[in-house]
Amino acid sequence: MAGQSDPHLSIFSPSEVEFVAEDEIVEIVPNIRMEALNMICGDFGPFFPQIASKVPLWLAVALKKRGKCTIRTPDWMTVDRLTQVLDAERESPKEFQPLPFHYIEISKLLFDHARDDISDAYLVRSLIEDIRDVRFHKVETGLETISGRTHAVKLKNLSAMEVNIIRPFMVRTLQAFYKHDSPQMIQQAYNIGSRPTPVTDRGPRRDLRRR
Amino acid sequence: MKGRAVKLWVAHKAGSPVFCSVAWGQGGQHVVTASAGDLAILIHDAAAVAAAAGAGGRSSGSAGAAVVSTIRLHKDGVTALAVAPGSGASLASGSIDHSVKFYSFPDGVFQSNVVRFTLPIRSLAFNKKGTLLAAAGDDDGIKLIATIDNTISKVLKGHKGSVTGLSFDPRNEYLASIDTFGTVIFWDLCTGTEARALSRIAPTFGSDHSINNVLCWSPDGQFLAVPGLRNNVVMYDRDTGEMVFTLKGEHEQPVCSLCWSPNGGYLVTAGLDKQVLIWDVKSKQDIERQKFDERICSLAWKPEGNAVALIDVTGKFGIWESVVPSTMKSPTDGVPDLNSTKVPLFDDEDDEKPSTSGGLEDDGDESLGESAPFNHKRLRKSTYHDHPNGDSEDEDLMLQMESRKRTKDTHRDNKGVADKARDDSATSGRLVTARLQAAFQPGSTQPQPGKRNFLAYNMLGSITTIQNEGHSHVEVDFHDTGRGPRIPSMTDYFGFTMAAMNESGSVFANPCKGDKNMSTLMYRPFSSWAGNSEWSMRFEGEEVKAVAVGAGWVAAVTSLNFLRVFTDGGLQMHILSVSGPVVTAAGHGDQLAIVSHASDCLSSGDQVLDVKVLKISEGAQSLSSRLVLTPTSQLSWFGFSENGQLSSFDSKGILRIFSGQFGGSWIPVFSSIKARKSEDESHWVVGLDANNIFCILCKSPESYPQVMPKPVLTILEQSFPLASSDLGANSLENEFMMRKLQLSQIQNKIEEMAALGLDTTAIDDEAFNMEAALDRCILRLISSCCNGDKLVRATELAKLLTLEKSIKGAMMLVTRLKLPILQEKFSSILEERMLSNTRIARTAVFSNTTNTMYSPALVTPEVPPAKLVQKSGNSLKLPTLPKLNPATQQGSPSESNKTEVEQANNLIEITPKVSPVQTPLAEIAKNSDKVGGKAKKDRDGASNATTVDHNSKGGFDQVALKNKSVEDCSGVQSQRPVNPFAKLPSSKEQSSSLFDSIKKMKVENEKVDKAKSKKMSVLFSCPMEDDNVVEDGLVAEALGFGNAADLMVLNASLASSSYISRVAELQEGAAEPELGRDQDFLHVTAHCASVDASELIQTRFIDMARRRRWYGSRTYTMLQAMQLRCFKNRGSD
Repeated sequence: MAGQSDPHLSIFSPSEVEFVAEDEIVEIVPNIRMEALNMICGDFGPFFPQIASKVPLWLAVALKKRGKCTIRTPDWMTVDRLTQVLDAERESPKEFQPLPFHYIEISKLLFDHARDDISDAYLVRSLIEDIRDVRFHKVETGLETISGRTHAVKLKNLSAMEVNIIRPFMVRTLQAFYKHDSPQMIQQAYNIGSRPTPVTDRGPRRDLRRR
Repeated sequence: MKGRAVKLWVAHKAGSPVFCSVAWGQGGQHVVTASAGDLAILIHDAAAVAAAAGAGGRSSGSAGAAVVSTIRLHKDGVTALAVAPGSGASLASGSIDHSVKFYSFPDGVFQSNVVRFTLPIRSLAFNKKGTLLAAAGDDDGIKLIATIDNTISKVLKGHKGSVTGLSFDPRNEYLASIDTFGTVIFWDLCTGTEARALSRIAPTFGSDHSINNVLCWSPDGQFLAVPGLRNNVVMYDRDTGEMVFTLKGEHEQPVCSLCWSPNGGYLVTAGLDKQVLIWDVKSKQDIERQKFDERICSLAWKPEGNAVALIDVTGKFGIWESVVPSTMKSPTDGVPDLNSTKVPLFDDEDDEKPSTSGGLEDDGDESLGESAPFNHKRLRKSTYHDHPNGDSEDEDLMLQMESRKRTKDTHRDNKGVADKARDDSATSGRLVTARLQAAFQPGSTQPQPGKRNFLAYNMLGSITTIQNEGHSHVEVDFHDTGRGPRIPSMTDYFGFTMAAMNESGSVFANPCKGDKNMSTLMYRPFSSWAGNSEWSMRFEGEEVKAVAVGAGWVAAVTSLNFLRVFTDGGLQMHILSVSGPVVTAAGHGDQLAIVSHASDCLSSGDQVLDVKVLKISEGAQSLSSRLVLTPTSQLSWFGFSENGQLSSFDSKGILRIFSGQFGGSWIPVFSSIKARKSEDESHWVVGLDANNIFCILCKSPESYPQVMPKPVLTILEQSFPLASSDLGANSLENEFMMRKLQLSQIQNKIEEMAALGLDTTAIDDEAFNMEAALDRCILRLISSCCNGDKLVRATELAKLLTLEKSIKGAMMLVTRLKLPILQEKFSSILEERMLSNTRIARTAVFSNTTNTMYSPALVTPEVPPAKLVQKSGNSLKLPTLPKLNPATQQGSPSESNKTEVEQANNLIEITPKVSPVQTPLAEIAKNSDKVGGKAKKDRDGASNATTVDHNSKGGFDQVALKNKSVEDCSGVQSQRPVNPFAKLPSSKEQSSSLFDSIKKMKVENEKVDKAKSKKMSVLFSCPMEDDNVVEDGLVAEALGFGNAADLMVLNASLASSSYISRVAELQEGAAEPELGRDQDFLHVTAHCASVDASELIQTRFIDMARRRRWYGSRTYTMLQAMQLRCFKNRGSD
């Protein structure tokens, strides 16, 4: 993407986004007995063998690396669900399917560290890659429609990584359009009639995502 | 007979007698012959052979005209032939040159070399569908070859001699093989293991390769025909391997070849005496006989025809047409249809039930009469297959058979059978015996071919097994990989089907399988100081049905209803007889529980089970009772909970625990049906503790977990099957009952321990916690009762409160809720409570001094004052009481130093004196405290009126009290105007200051007696949900429990529900005596500020901070900064 080429405009690096995603809660099945862990972000546990409990992803990965648990695949990461999502993504060219905000990061972390816990890992991986590609294609085609008249772009269910990638580009584009078009827009407003144009006053709104 | 002599044609030339073989092609149009003395395989046109035979000519003539094709690919003599059934027919040949080749059929074009051996091939056989070829010979293994890709799927090793005969069971479950020593082995095709071996049941031919021992399955797969040792043919049962019947007749020498007619009604045999006989299997008679010049070494019955192809040792072959006389039933009638389904197993018992529904059978059946049960049996079966949903009688029978057959299967299987049976309304009476549940191990799953199954699964770990080429692999895993020892996997040659484990070891047992495999019990300790400390026991004529393991012992219950107890070293300690057939057994520490059948099922279908709990080390029986099950259900799990409660789970999904209540009863604490989220979920119980059930969720159709992927335990809360009440607080009611149950369990334990003279302090604490938790629950219930306007219920609940503080709390509650009626009721409850305490205390005193004369006199005068108070209403009278108190107490210090008897006398004096002027109960209570040394009450009471300083003294007093120095105590107490009622019924305005004082009081006490208040903080430590925060806050405030930290927690939760002004109050209260850590204080303040940044609050906090002398301190600065920020925030808004 264009935005990526300019490092100053990209607010987060992918690894930073991944870091943020590590706070997502996942379910693990420990194979040890352990007292509760009192972390800054909260208390987790106590842990009992073979009884599932919920912990942040970073903790799950840390435990997994030490062979102390298995990570349960999240519901959305099953082949069935992903196939559904992929189909839906393909069917609706305008919309994005609801997926976890950090779906790319979570799945990557799980593939890196808990591959053996995912059933049909290969299939799941290819499905997620497909979904990502389809969504990104949508984003790209969506961006093509941006023109001088665009005041806002509404993208629901966009994920963190996707937002992060298009954000710099978007912002810059809208800024550029605004810069070039604003005298013209004011003129247009006069042409249309006596209606006051608060739009021009406020400039382009940037409600990309509610979050 | 003469006219029907079979003409033989020379097919293969042989100098000396060699083994020759013959086979029919599919459809019966071709005959294939081969000879061990000839390289060629000849394919003849059957019709041409027959025609040539009809045209006359001598038996030594050549049959060359009939030869369709000749195959000369083997480098040595051909010893075995087999034609694959099915459409894409092919021919397989085995040779002395060690190879097996495939040809297309009937044109005989070479297709492939299938397999090579290291020694000559002797026998080949295709299975019914032609998917498998078995090949064997002088090598020591039988090779099973998948015909689709010519891969060797299995090698079956077990024969000592060269294998000369192979036959696939038509149902494709077994392969039977025979060697030159006459040993027959049944191989299980699923697992590739030896199902059973019958040693030397057929004649031994040694190394004479011109004679091959053969064997043949009957077309319905029910019997295996094997040449017998007495010139006869013996039929063996497919499942048991037992001899069923024999065909004995005209053979003068051993039978060397045999073949069934397509319908299984006839058998053709060739003997070494050069005779060929046709047998009617039903009547067990030979019906036809032919004598030949040479020995016939191979026979083949024409498929779908009445002809037999035969070949002698000189290579001459012929076709014997119409071997069965036309007067008899055709050998092709009623060919069993085995292709459709897998055939359920039947025992011989079903013979008595000839089918009435029509089947494949023609009227030939009638003509043969009903002499032979065998006929009926087979007939019935075939009709069953045609009508799988046949009449209920048949189905019942099948169910019966099945359940009888699979006595070793786990309960779940039987459960299914029983369920089905129950649905069938017509059967209830008849199936009674079939429903007696078979023995099972808790936590085991059914074996599945090719998969691991659980032998045992409990909270500690699991034991799994998998069948693998004749033996099993057993693995023991602990759930907690961090702690449990690593157990090496074990190769199991016994075929264990039962197992149990605990921390120290595992025990295994197998059922007996025939005479060879005796039932064995084996114990493997997980760790031992001695080297080889595992041991095993063998049981002759006895079969282990259930095993259990406990602390230092191993128990096994056998088919003879013997309970055998061993030490973990293997010493046989006890042998007891159990009252009935065992269902299951479980061990926990020293306790062994055995469930057994007490009698047949009731006519309603309910099982009658007994349970016994034995204490092994003491040799005592601690319980013998009925095991309760839901009607018509079966026991599906049985064991002890983590804290040693006996528990059971039945197939209807009800979990029960045994409780001492009502003289020992089973209490349902969980219902799977209520707990499940969707219809297809079921719970597979693993264990339980005091509050929760640990189970594995199974989605139907599976009702039990698989080993892989590792099952994950689900925690479910225990819940009573409560009726839905009009109160709408089911969860609270449930909690109430649960806590009551737990409390009663703990109290039982305390009693037990006390009886044994053990130290109960640890459990006492636990019991106290329980009481506090129960009270808290009751208080909530009271509050919801009040809200629901169920005042009677609220009063009943109040009576159940154990701690007096709680009763007072309840009074606070109703005061807040503006329910004066209840308030009155509650106060009378408290009075009664105190009265009865007094009474107990007094009687105790009197019994101590052995001056029992006073006790009746004492009891009576106490009642009227209490009643008077109730009537008059406390609110009016009580405020005056503190003034009264000093007056009465002035007398007491002087007397307090005297003996207890004197005190008692004193009391009697006081009571009549005061009652005319309506002395309130508090007076008596106080006195009683003095006598009985009940410190707690005093503490509460004292809080109302006294200052902090005073209280700290009081605290010391309590310590003194604890040391049982009665004199001291009463001396100091007398200075305190103690009256627990003084402010209880006070109006709303008073209450807040009252709370404060109570609270301060408590905190002071806490300083003195930390341990005590820790217990009280239990009330606080429970998580406070949003909707309960106010309620809890009220309760907690009212009770004034807890230390400073708890108070802060409470404040925080109050703050979060925006009760800021209340928090401020509390904070102020806490600030004054400098309670709590600064951090806590700051935390709460910050919290409040974030919730509500009103200036008032801020200023109040600053003020408080000032009072805490935080000037200049870091905390103060922070507070100021915070305030600044708050102001800023407001400004920005």
